[in-house]
Amino acid sequence: MLSFLFSRRAPALCVRRAQIPSIRTLCTHNKPSSSPRVHPKRKNAFEPAQRRNYSDHNEKERNAIGVFGPRAAFAFLATGVALWFYFRNEKLRLKEEKEKERASKQYGRPNLGGQFTLTSHEGKPFTEEELEGKWSLVYFGFTNCPDICPAELDKISTVLDTVQKEHGDIFLPLFITVDPARDLPHRIARYLEDFHPSFIGLFGDYDATKAICKKYRVYFSTPANADPKGDYLVDHSIFVYLMDPQGKFVDAFGQSVPQEDVVEKINKEVNDWQRQTGKKA
Amino acid sequence: MGWFSSSKKPEEENTTTRQNRQQCWTARDAYFTCLDDRNVVKAGEEGNACSTEKKAYEANCAKSWIEYFNQRRVIADAQKDRLARAAAQHEEWKAKSGKS
Repeated sequence: MLSFLFSRRAPALCVRRAQIPSIRTLCTHNKPSSSPRVHPKRKNAFEPAQRRNYSDHNEKERNAIGVFGPRAAFAFLATGVALWFYFRNEKLRLKEEKEKERASKQYGRPNLGGQFTLTSHEGKPFTEEELEGKWSLVYFGFTNCPDICPAELDKISTVLDTVQKEHGDIFLPLFITVDPARDLPHRIARYLEDFHPSFIGLFGDYDATKAICKKYRVYFSTPANADPKGDYLVDHSIFVYLMDPQGKFVDAFGQSVPQEDVVEKINKEVNDWQRQTGKKA
Repeated sequence: MGWFSSSKKPEEENTTTRQNRQQCWTARDAYFTCLDDRNVVKAGEEGNACSTEKKAYEANCAKSWIEYFNQRRVIADAQKDRLARAAAQHEEWKAKSGKS
Protein backbone atom coordinates (compact mmCIF):
# COMPACT_ATOMS: atom_id res chain seq x y z
CA MET A 1 0.00 0.00 0.00
CA LEU A 2 2.69 2.39 1.01
CA SER A 3 4.93 1.57 -1.93
CA PHE A 4 2.00 2.08 -4.32
CA LEU A 5 1.34 5.46 -2.80
CA PHE A 6 4.96 6.48 -3.21
CA SER A 7 5.32 5.41 -6.79
CA ARG A 8 2.16 7.22 -7.88
CA ARG A 9 3.02 10.42 -6.11
CA ALA A 10 6.65 10.40 -6.98
CA PRO A 11 6.84 13.63 -9.08
CA ALA A 12 5.02 15.78 -6.57
CA LEU A 13 7.06 14.34 -3.78
CA CYS A 14 10.18 15.05 -5.70
CA VAL A 15 9.36 18.71 -6.07
CA ARG A 16 8.42 19.14 -2.48
CA ARG A 17 11.58 17.52 -1.26
CA ALA A 18 13.69 19.51 -3.60
CA GLN A 19 12.44 22.70 -2.01
CA ILE A 20 14.62 21.81 0.91
CA PRO A 21 18.18 21.96 -0.36
CA SER A 22 19.49 19.53 2.20
CA ILE A 23 17.68 16.57 0.64
CA ARG A 24 17.66 17.68 -2.96
CA THR A 25 19.70 14.68 -4.05
CA LEU A 26 16.53 12.62 -3.87
CA CYS A 27 15.24 14.48 -6.85
CA THR A 28 16.74 13.53 -10.16
CA HIS A 29 15.44 16.63 -11.93
CA ASN A 30 17.87 18.89 -10.17
CA LYS A 31 21.30 18.53 -11.54
CA PRO A 32 23.67 19.95 -8.94
CA SER A 33 23.87 17.21 -6.40
CA SER A 34 27.19 17.35 -4.68
CA SER A 35 26.11 18.66 -1.33
CA PRO A 36 27.92 17.38 1.72
CA ARG A 37 24.81 17.88 3.83
CA VAL A 38 22.60 15.00 2.71
CA HIS A 39 20.79 13.18 5.45
CA PRO A 40 19.44 9.95 4.03
CA LYS A 41 17.55 9.30 7.24
CA ARG A 42 15.27 12.26 6.60
CA LYS A 43 13.58 10.44 3.73
CA ASN A 44 11.15 9.00 6.19
CA ALA A 45 10.28 12.34 7.67
CA PHE A 46 7.82 12.92 4.85
CA GLU A 47 5.86 9.78 5.16
CA PRO A 48 3.25 11.00 7.63
CA ALA A 49 2.66 14.14 5.59
CA GLN A 50 2.23 12.08 2.47
CA ARG A 51 -0.32 9.91 4.07
CA ARG A 52 -2.26 12.85 5.40
CA ASN A 53 -2.38 14.64 2.05
CA TYR A 54 -3.51 11.62 0.18
CA SER A 55 -7.11 11.18 -0.79
CA ASP A 56 -9.00 9.43 -3.62
CA HIS A 57 -10.28 12.74 -4.92
CA ASN A 58 -6.80 14.21 -5.22
CA GLU A 59 -5.44 11.16 -6.91
CA LYS A 60 -8.15 11.20 -9.54
CA GLU A 61 -7.59 14.85 -10.31
CA ARG A 62 -3.88 14.37 -10.71
CA ASN A 63 -4.29 11.34 -12.89
CA ALA A 64 -6.56 13.30 -15.16
CA ILE A 65 -4.13 16.19 -15.73
CA GLY A 66 -1.07 14.02 -15.67
CA VAL A 67 1.70 13.95 -13.15
CA PHE A 68 2.99 17.36 -14.19
CA GLY A 69 0.14 19.67 -13.24
CA PRO A 70 0.43 23.48 -13.29
CA ARG A 71 1.06 23.65 -9.57
CA ALA A 72 3.76 21.03 -9.76
CA ALA A 73 5.30 22.76 -12.76
CA PHE A 74 5.37 26.06 -10.93
CA ALA A 75 6.86 24.49 -7.83
CA PHE A 76 9.41 22.73 -9.96
CA LEU A 77 10.46 25.93 -11.72
CA ALA A 78 10.54 27.95 -8.51
CA THR A 79 12.71 25.31 -6.90
CA GLY A 80 15.00 25.26 -9.88
CA VAL A 81 15.46 29.02 -9.76
CA ALA A 82 15.96 28.98 -6.02
CA LEU A 83 18.54 26.25 -6.29
CA TRP A 84 20.35 28.04 -9.07
CA PHE A 85 20.68 31.11 -6.87
CA TYR A 86 21.65 29.01 -3.91
CA PHE A 87 24.48 27.30 -5.75
CA ARG A 88 25.67 30.47 -7.37
CA ASN A 89 25.93 32.10 -3.95
CA GLU A 90 27.61 29.07 -2.49
CA LYS A 91 30.14 29.02 -5.29
CA LEU A 92 30.89 32.72 -4.80
CA ARG A 93 31.23 32.20 -1.09
CA LEU A 94 33.73 29.36 -1.53
CA LYS A 95 35.70 31.39 -4.03
CA GLU A 96 35.80 34.28 -1.62
CA GLU A 97 36.97 32.04 1.19
CA LYS A 98 39.78 30.66 -0.94
CA GLU A 99 40.84 34.15 -1.89
CA LYS A 100 40.83 35.18 1.76
CA GLU A 101 42.97 32.21 2.70
CA ARG A 102 45.51 33.07 0.03
CA ALA A 103 45.61 36.68 1.08
CA SER A 104 45.81 35.94 4.79
CA LYS A 105 49.36 34.78 4.23
CA GLN A 106 50.16 38.41 3.59
CA TYR A 107 47.75 39.90 6.11
CA GLY A 108 49.27 37.68 8.78
CA ARG A 109 52.65 39.31 8.45
CA PRO A 110 53.84 41.69 11.10
CA ASN A 111 53.75 45.31 10.09
CA LEU A 112 57.51 45.72 10.08
CA GLY A 113 59.54 48.14 8.00
CA GLY A 114 58.16 51.14 6.14
CA GLN A 115 59.33 54.63 5.32
CA PHE A 116 62.80 55.82 6.18
CA THR A 117 65.30 58.40 4.99
CA LEU A 118 68.99 57.59 5.41
CA THR A 119 72.22 58.11 3.49
CA SER A 120 74.26 55.40 1.81
CA HIS A 121 77.96 54.95 2.56
CA GLU A 122 78.58 56.49 -0.86
CA GLY A 123 76.83 59.64 0.30
CA LYS A 124 73.62 59.19 -1.71
CA PRO A 125 70.20 59.64 -0.17
CA PHE A 126 68.53 56.30 0.41
CA THR A 127 64.85 55.70 1.20
CA GLU A 128 62.53 52.70 1.39
CA GLU A 129 61.80 53.16 -2.34
CA GLU A 130 65.19 51.65 -3.10
CA LEU A 131 63.93 48.34 -1.70
CA GLU A 132 61.44 48.00 -4.55
CA GLY A 133 62.29 45.47 -7.21
CA LYS A 134 64.83 43.61 -5.11
CA TRP A 135 64.83 41.12 -2.28
CA SER A 136 66.48 42.92 0.60
CA LEU A 137 68.44 41.46 3.49
CA VAL A 138 68.54 44.06 6.23
CA TYR A 139 70.96 43.93 9.12
CA PHE A 140 71.42 46.43 11.94
CA GLY A 141 74.85 46.65 13.53
CA PHE A 142 77.90 48.83 14.09
CA THR A 143 81.45 48.68 12.80
CA ASN A 144 83.08 48.48 16.24
CA CYS A 145 81.18 45.24 16.88
CA PRO A 146 83.62 42.70 18.39
CA ASP A 147 82.38 39.41 16.96
CA ILE A 148 78.65 38.97 16.38
CA CYS A 149 78.16 41.51 13.57
CA PRO A 150 81.09 40.30 11.46
CA ALA A 151 79.94 36.72 11.88
CA GLU A 152 76.41 37.65 10.81
CA LEU A 153 77.66 39.69 7.86
CA ASP A 154 79.85 36.76 6.79
CA LYS A 155 76.78 34.56 6.99
CA ILE A 156 74.78 36.96 4.80
CA SER A 157 77.69 37.13 2.34
CA THR A 158 77.75 33.35 1.95
CA VAL A 159 73.97 33.23 1.61
CA LEU A 160 74.13 35.93 -1.07
CA ASP A 161 76.75 34.02 -3.07
CA THR A 162 74.45 31.00 -3.12
CA VAL A 163 71.15 32.71 -3.91
CA GLN A 164 72.67 35.03 -6.51
CA LYS A 165 74.01 32.03 -8.37
CA GLU A 166 70.54 30.52 -8.32
CA HIS A 167 68.39 33.59 -9.08
CA GLY A 168 70.67 36.30 -10.42
CA ASP A 169 71.30 39.84 -9.22
CA ILE A 170 67.99 40.45 -7.49
CA PHE A 171 69.22 40.91 -3.92
CA LEU A 172 70.04 44.01 -1.94
CA PRO A 173 71.97 43.51 1.31
CA LEU A 174 71.79 46.47 3.68
CA PHE A 175 73.90 47.23 6.70
CA ILE A 176 72.26 49.90 8.83
CA THR A 177 74.39 51.33 11.59
CA VAL A 178 73.00 51.76 15.09
CA ASP A 179 76.06 53.81 16.04
CA PRO A 180 75.50 57.06 14.14
CA ALA A 181 77.96 59.05 16.26
CA ARG A 182 81.00 57.06 15.15
CA ASP A 183 79.98 55.21 11.98
CA LEU A 184 80.71 57.86 9.38
CA PRO A 185 80.48 56.96 5.66
CA HIS A 186 84.20 56.31 5.13
CA ARG A 187 84.27 54.04 8.13
CA ILE A 188 81.24 52.05 6.98
CA ALA A 189 82.70 51.88 3.46
CA ARG A 190 85.97 50.43 4.73
CA TYR A 191 84.14 48.05 7.03
CA LEU A 192 81.95 46.66 4.24
CA GLU A 193 84.93 46.01 1.96
CA ASP A 194 85.50 42.82 3.93
CA PHE A 195 82.05 41.48 3.11
CA HIS A 196 79.89 40.86 0.05
CA PRO A 197 80.50 43.53 -2.63
CA SER A 198 76.80 44.23 -3.05
CA PHE A 199 76.42 45.44 0.54
CA ILE A 200 75.16 48.98 0.98
CA GLY A 201 75.81 50.70 4.28
CA LEU A 202 73.24 53.17 5.60
CA PHE A 203 73.47 55.81 8.26
CA GLY A 204 71.46 58.75 9.52
CA ASP A 205 71.50 61.11 12.46
CA TYR A 206 70.42 59.87 15.86
CA ASP A 207 66.71 60.60 15.29
CA ALA A 208 66.65 58.96 11.85
CA THR A 209 68.43 55.93 13.29
CA LYS A 210 66.00 55.74 16.15
CA ALA A 211 63.06 56.06 13.74
CA ILE A 212 64.13 53.19 11.48
CA CYS A 213 65.00 51.01 14.46
CA LYS A 214 61.51 51.55 15.78
CA LYS A 215 60.00 50.56 12.44
CA TYR A 216 62.09 47.39 12.33
CA ARG A 217 61.55 46.68 16.05
CA VAL A 218 65.28 46.88 16.68
CA TYR A 219 66.61 47.73 20.11
CA PHE A 220 69.90 49.61 20.36
CA SER A 221 71.68 51.09 23.34
CA THR A 222 73.67 53.99 21.87
CA PRO A 223 72.88 57.15 23.82
CA ALA A 224 71.94 60.27 21.86
CA ASN A 225 75.04 62.12 23.10
CA ALA A 226 77.57 59.35 22.45
CA ASP A 227 81.17 60.56 22.12
CA PRO A 228 82.30 60.16 18.48
CA LYS A 229 85.80 59.39 19.74
CA GLY A 230 84.64 57.17 22.58
CA ASP A 231 85.48 53.50 22.90
CA TYR A 232 82.15 51.82 23.61
CA LEU A 233 80.05 48.93 22.42
CA VAL A 234 76.45 49.07 21.28
CA ASP A 235 74.01 46.50 22.51
CA HIS A 236 71.48 45.78 19.79
CA SER A 237 69.01 43.19 18.45
CA ILE A 238 70.57 40.67 16.10
CA PHE A 239 68.25 39.83 13.24
CA VAL A 240 68.54 39.59 9.49
CA TYR A 241 65.30 40.75 7.91
CA LEU A 242 64.15 39.47 4.55
CA MET A 243 62.00 42.00 2.68
CA ASP A 244 60.15 41.25 -0.55
CA PRO A 245 60.44 43.27 -3.81
CA GLN A 246 57.66 45.57 -2.56
CA GLY A 247 59.69 46.35 0.54
CA LYS A 248 57.35 44.31 2.75
CA PHE A 249 58.57 42.15 5.58
CA VAL A 250 58.81 38.41 4.88
CA ASP A 251 60.92 36.85 7.62
CA ALA A 252 63.50 37.51 10.31
CA PHE A 253 66.48 35.24 10.88
CA GLY A 254 68.08 35.11 14.30
CA GLN A 255 71.68 34.35 15.05
CA SER A 256 70.96 30.67 15.58
CA VAL A 257 69.41 30.11 12.16
CA PRO A 258 71.98 28.28 10.02
CA GLN A 259 72.76 29.73 6.61
CA GLU A 260 71.37 26.68 4.83
CA ASP A 261 67.96 27.44 6.35
CA VAL A 262 68.18 31.07 5.26
CA VAL A 263 69.02 29.99 1.69
CA GLU A 264 66.16 27.50 1.69
CA LYS A 265 63.68 30.11 2.90
CA ILE A 266 64.82 32.67 0.32
CA ASN A 267 64.59 30.12 -2.49
CA LYS A 268 61.08 29.22 -1.45
CA GLU A 269 59.96 32.85 -1.24
CA VAL A 270 61.50 33.79 -4.61
CA ASN A 271 59.91 30.78 -6.29
CA ASP A 272 56.51 31.54 -4.75
CA TRP A 273 56.84 35.11 -5.92
CA GLN A 274 57.69 33.98 -9.43
CA ARG A 275 54.70 31.66 -9.50
CA GLN A 276 52.38 34.48 -8.45
CA THR A 277 53.77 37.40 -10.43
CA GLY A 278 55.70 35.73 -13.26
CA LYS A 279 58.85 37.55 -12.13
CA LYS A 280 61.58 36.72 -9.67
CA ALA A 281 61.65 40.21 -8.22
CA MET B 1 104.39 61.91 2.44
CA GLY B 2 104.58 62.52 6.13
CA TRP B 3 101.50 64.68 5.99
CA PHE B 4 99.67 62.02 4.01
CA SER B 5 100.37 59.15 6.38
CA SER B 6 99.59 61.20 9.46
CA SER B 7 96.25 62.28 8.03
CA LYS B 8 95.40 58.71 7.17
CA LYS B 9 96.38 57.18 10.46
CA PRO B 10 93.38 58.18 12.60
CA GLU B 11 91.03 56.64 10.08
CA GLU B 12 92.86 53.35 10.17
CA GLU B 13 92.79 53.35 13.94
CA ASN B 14 89.09 53.97 13.99
CA THR B 15 88.14 51.43 11.42
CA THR B 16 87.74 47.80 12.20
CA THR B 17 88.82 45.51 9.40
CA ARG B 18 88.84 41.78 9.05
CA GLN B 19 92.56 41.85 9.57
CA ASN B 20 92.67 43.78 12.82
CA ARG B 21 89.70 41.86 14.14
CA GLN B 22 91.54 38.63 13.48
CA GLN B 23 94.67 39.98 15.19
CA CYS B 24 92.64 40.84 18.25
CA TRP B 25 90.92 37.45 18.35
CA THR B 26 94.22 35.62 18.03
CA ALA B 27 95.77 37.63 20.88
CA ARG B 28 92.63 37.06 22.96
CA ASP B 29 92.70 33.31 22.36
CA ALA B 30 96.37 33.13 23.35
CA TYR B 31 95.69 35.00 26.57
CA PHE B 32 92.62 32.91 27.41
CA THR B 33 94.55 29.70 26.77
CA CYS B 34 97.13 30.93 29.23
CA LEU B 35 94.36 31.59 31.78
CA ASP B 36 92.86 28.15 31.13
CA ASP B 37 96.23 26.53 31.85
CA ARG B 38 96.24 28.24 35.22
CA ASN B 39 92.59 27.52 35.94
CA VAL B 40 91.77 31.20 36.05
CA VAL B 41 88.32 32.23 34.83
CA LYS B 42 88.24 35.92 35.61
CA ALA B 43 90.89 37.89 33.72
CA GLY B 44 93.19 39.81 36.06
CA GLU B 45 93.20 37.14 38.75
CA GLU B 46 96.19 35.37 37.24
CA GLY B 47 98.75 37.67 38.84
CA ASN B 48 101.81 38.13 36.66
CA ALA B 49 101.48 34.74 35.04
CA CYS B 50 100.29 35.68 31.54
CA SER B 51 101.82 39.10 31.22
CA THR B 52 103.23 38.59 27.71
CA GLU B 53 99.90 37.40 26.37
CA LYS B 54 98.09 40.10 28.25
CA LYS B 55 100.29 42.78 26.73
CA ALA B 56 99.63 41.47 23.21
CA TYR B 57 95.90 41.25 23.97
CA GLU B 58 95.80 44.86 25.15
CA ALA B 59 97.87 46.02 22.19
CA ASN B 60 95.59 44.39 19.61
CA CYS B 61 92.14 44.92 21.05
CA ALA B 62 90.20 48.02 21.98
CA LYS B 63 89.46 48.45 25.66
CA SER B 64 85.74 48.00 25.08
CA TRP B 65 86.40 44.70 23.32
CA ILE B 66 88.65 43.46 26.12
CA GLU B 67 85.97 44.22 28.70
CA TYR B 68 83.38 42.45 26.56
CA PHE B 69 85.46 39.34 25.94
CA ASN B 70 86.50 39.09 29.60
CA GLN B 71 82.90 39.39 30.76
CA ARG B 72 81.75 36.85 28.25
CA ARG B 73 84.41 34.42 29.43
CA VAL B 74 83.00 34.56 32.95
CA ILE B 75 79.44 34.17 31.71
CA ALA B 76 80.37 31.27 29.44
CA ASP B 77 82.09 29.54 32.34
CA ALA B 78 79.05 29.96 34.58
CA GLN B 79 76.90 28.57 31.82
CA LYS B 80 79.25 25.64 31.39
CA ASP B 81 78.89 24.89 35.09
CA ARG B 82 75.14 25.14 34.92
CA LEU B 83 74.99 22.96 31.83
CA ALA B 84 77.27 20.39 33.44
CA ARG B 85 75.10 20.35 36.57
CA ALA B 86 71.98 19.98 34.48
CA ALA B 87 73.56 17.13 32.53
CA ALA B 88 74.64 15.43 35.76
CA GLN B 89 71.15 15.77 37.20
CA HIS B 90 69.71 14.31 34.05
CA GLU B 91 72.08 11.33 34.22
CA GLU B 92 71.15 10.81 37.86
CA TRP B 93 67.47 10.93 37.06
CA LYS B 94 67.95 8.50 34.19
CA ALA B 95 69.86 6.07 36.41
CA LYS B 96 67.14 6.30 39.10
CA SER B 97 64.23 5.83 36.78
CA GLY B 98 66.09 2.99 35.09
CA LYS B 99 66.36 1.09 38.38
CA SER B 100 62.75 1.44 39.43
